[in-house]
Amino acid sequence: MTRHFAVLAFLLGTAVAVGAATRPASVGAPGKHAVDTCTACHAELDDQRLRAPAAFAKIDADVHHLQGIGCAGCHGGDPTSEDPEAAMSPAAGFVGRFATRAIPEMCASCHANAAFMLRYGPNIPTDQLDQYRTSRHGQALTRGDTRIATCISCHGAHGVLPASDARSPVYPSRIVETCGHCHGDATLMQRYGVSGREPADYKRSVHYAALTQKNDLSAPTCNDCHGSHGATPPGVSSISNVCGSCHVTQRERFDLSPHKDAFAALEQPACETCHSNHAVVHPDDHWMGVGPDQVCGQCHSGNDAGAQAATAIAATLAASRAGLATATGRVDRVERAGMLMDEARVALEEAHQAYVLAQAEIHTVDPAAVGTQTDQVRTGFDAAGRLAADAEAEIRFRRTGLFVSLGVIALAMVALVLKVRQLER
Amino acid sequence: MTDDAAVQRSSRRSFVNWLLGTTVGATVAAALYPVFRFVIPPEVAEAPVNRVLAVRLSELSPNSGKVFRFGAKPGIVVRTAGGDVRAFAATCTHLNCTVQYRPDFQHIWCACHNGHYDLQGKNIEGPPPRPLETFRVDVAGDDVYVTRGA
Amino acid sequence: MEIPRRLWQALDERLQLQPLIEFAADKEVPQHRYSWAYYFGGLTLFFLVVQVVTGILLLLYYRPTSEAAFESVQFIVARVPFGWLIRSIHSWSANLMVLAAVAHMVSVFLLGAYAKPRELTWWSGIALVGVAFGFGFSGYLLPWNELSFFATRIGTDMVSKVPLIGHWLLTFLRGGEEVTGATLTRFFGLHVAVLPMITAALIGLHLALIQRQGMHVPERLAEEARRRRPLRFIPNFVLREAIVWLAGLAALAALAAFLPWELGAKADPFAPAPAGIKPEWYFLFMFETLKLLPAHVLGIEGELVGLVAFTLAGLAWFLIPVLDRGAAAGRRSRAVLIAGLVALAAVVLVTGLSLAGVLS
Repeated sequence: MTRHFAVLAFLLGTAVAVGAATRPASVGAPGKHAVDTCTACHAELDDQRLRAPAAFAKIDADVHHLQGIGCAGCHGGDPTSEDPEAAMSPAAGFVGRFATRAIPEMCASCHANAAFMLRYGPNIPTDQLDQYRTSRHGQALTRGDTRIATCISCHGAHGVLPASDARSPVYPSRIVETCGHCHGDATLMQRYGVSGREPADYKRSVHYAALTQKNDLSAPTCNDCHGSHGATPPGVSSISNVCGSCHVTQRERFDLSPHKDAFAALEQPACETCHSNHAVVHPDDHWMGVGPDQVCGQCHSGNDAGAQAATAIAATLAASRAGLATATGRVDRVERAGMLMDEARVALEEAHQAYVLAQAEIHTVDPAAVGTQTDQVRTGFDAAGRLAADAEAEIRFRRTGLFVSLGVIALAMVALVLKVRQLER
Repeated sequence: MTDDAAVQRSSRRSFVNWLLGTTVGATVAAALYPVFRFVIPPEVAEAPVNRVLAVRLSELSPNSGKVFRFGAKPGIVVRTAGGDVRAFAATCTHLNCTVQYRPDFQHIWCACHNGHYDLQGKNIEGPPPRPLETFRVDVAGDDVYVTRGA
Repeated sequence: MEIPRRLWQALDERLQLQPLIEFAADKEVPQHRYSWAYYFGGLTLFFLVVQVVTGILLLLYYRPTSEAAFESVQFIVARVPFGWLIRSIHSWSANLMVLAAVAHMVSVFLLGAYAKPRELTWWSGIALVGVAFGFGFSGYLLPWNELSFFATRIGTDMVSKVPLIGHWLLTFLRGGEEVTGATLTRFFGLHVAVLPMITAALIGLHLALIQRQGMHVPERLAEEARRRRPLRFIPNFVLREAIVWLAGLAALAALAAFLPWELGAKADPFAPAPAGIKPEWYFLFMFETLKLLPAHVLGIEGELVGLVAFTLAGLAWFLIPVLDRGAAAGRRSRAVLIAGLVALAAVVLVTGLSLAGVLS
């Protein structure tokens, strides 16, 4: 008897396990809009909380419904029955409201199943649950904290849209608001030792400006540095990996500099030390130096090697800026006076580019490396200056020519007057 | 009228006539000089419009590229490893730095923020949001002409 | 001296030039307090000659296609020796010519020189002012820059308001529905061939009439003209006129060197119109008045009302010799004079306010 029970239990367990691995029949064919009886009833209910999800089924504002996964696909139950008792019977697997702790596993029952997800696209990631478990959110949930973010906190429960849809809360330009629901609440964040100022700081950054004003969707937002599902603050040693994934040029130069080892030894977060982590604003050349508001002064002072390098770099950049500004002003002036200065504009553009490269070289903290680029800047603005000087000379020549011609004309007029007077004497 | 007055008058008249002739002549010369200089064609005889001679084929080895000037803007002509000649606008679509050819990547690269473009000019990596503008290439003997759309 | 004399003799024997010489030698210009106004006509002619000469020079390098027009003007200004001078003189002389023509026309009106027997001179003159405006309008498009493209679009839009034939006129002027390279070609043809031909004919008529009829002296100044000795045309008036023309030349040179005509940006038909587009100053009085009119006047479209009003006013101006028939007999119509002065004052006021930026 016990043996039969054991076999039965084993078979049942296998069935349940297999049932969990493959989806129940309440999942329709992909691409075919889900049909169920849930929507019709729930759309008529008085309770707003119970009525709202039905709206997403009707207006095609939910990717699950569009792909044939209706209410029963997550909530279970019998989607074909019009009888509420039968439709929402626990025997048919119905779960009304999921416990917070159950949500990640519930979503992962499909989304972590690689074979299953292949039905909906060839390259859909299926590692979200694994990532989530490594994240601060996942770890807190495991410890029993239910005030923590789960799948539905960011993606929504009903009306889930792909991240590429501009209406989705995880569309790049909307992510900071989504994360900010919790991470912008200082009181809530204090429980976790986080300031709650990060979303506001991020909104001051050039990354946010690029995302929202220039509509550059490749600009980083919260998930690009922290990870989408494995949300964890990057460790001190990995910050330059994070920033360097886009800012390769600067990262390569930082790695060649004495800062790399020094920062690691001091446990200083590389890029963040000078550029901050969330409020990443446009760097200013005036940051270079050991003065009170200058970044190098955080560690260097007086006449140490770093201070000398900082001062030298600041000086060469300032000289380049000044030369470039002077040359540009000259070219502008002669252009306004009517000369065409295409060649000079090209030279100024080349000088400007060398200046941009010089600014990247700052990360080597090597005045010689910066100097190589600023020499190019000088070449450029010198060339532009020479062309402007030629144009100024041409303008002077024209004005001189004008005065000479006016003089000649005036003399001719005088001669005519004399002749007239002579004739009429 | 005395003889003196008559002589004086006559010499003043010839002076006035001389002055008139000289100054009017000078005025005419001053007006005609620019006209004569104008009608002689300048060295570059044509307004460079949409077509330039970018480079000599003999100076462009396979798997190399060269930046040239197209009016006030830079262009880049690339000879692929297979010998094909292509040309693009060399202004990076990210923040307008001038791109260059990288023989090690065998494609086009922007030094400023590490943007990469393939040999079709398409932006394949890094910040550039759009491909490079493509120009038409005509090779006549050793001359590589690049034309941009009107 | 021998060769010129022999040459002259040879020509005279064949062409009988002596009567012409006598006519020229005997020609006189009356003198009175307003005889300085007699210089305006010649000044206009001087500026026209400058336009023809500089225009022909520009033709050596200009290309009348939408792909190349702007670049060719840029080439002239930047690469051709003294191209900057020729081009700026051409643009400035256009404005000075219109100014001189208007001054000439106004002084003729004020002195009543339109009276019989000089009606044809007045009519050919008004036609010449119209042709000058046509030159200005067609020439303005030729550099194919932003300003000229949009000014042309707005300007040609007006003709579509003419009833019945408006749309046909529009497509005729534009060479299509929109302002395109086809418009440029058409305007170029008008500017360098059609209008010059018409000008030559009209000027020929205008000058021939003046030679035939002599200079007009207003009735009230006849006494003074009789009292003061008239100037001999050759050499006295001609020498004085040369002084005036040299002053005009000096003004052109100064303007070209100190206020060079700008190149602007190449026209982009797909770009939105820049704010504050205005036509050249001599069209401003029409432009601003039409803008001031309400959208509808008594049910008719405001712009059409404006157009009709201007046409009627222009017609009245043209017909002044007929409206003021008494002028020939020395009885100038007060009404015509006052009406004309009021109209001129209005034009000057609107133009001035527009230039000063008071009117948008």
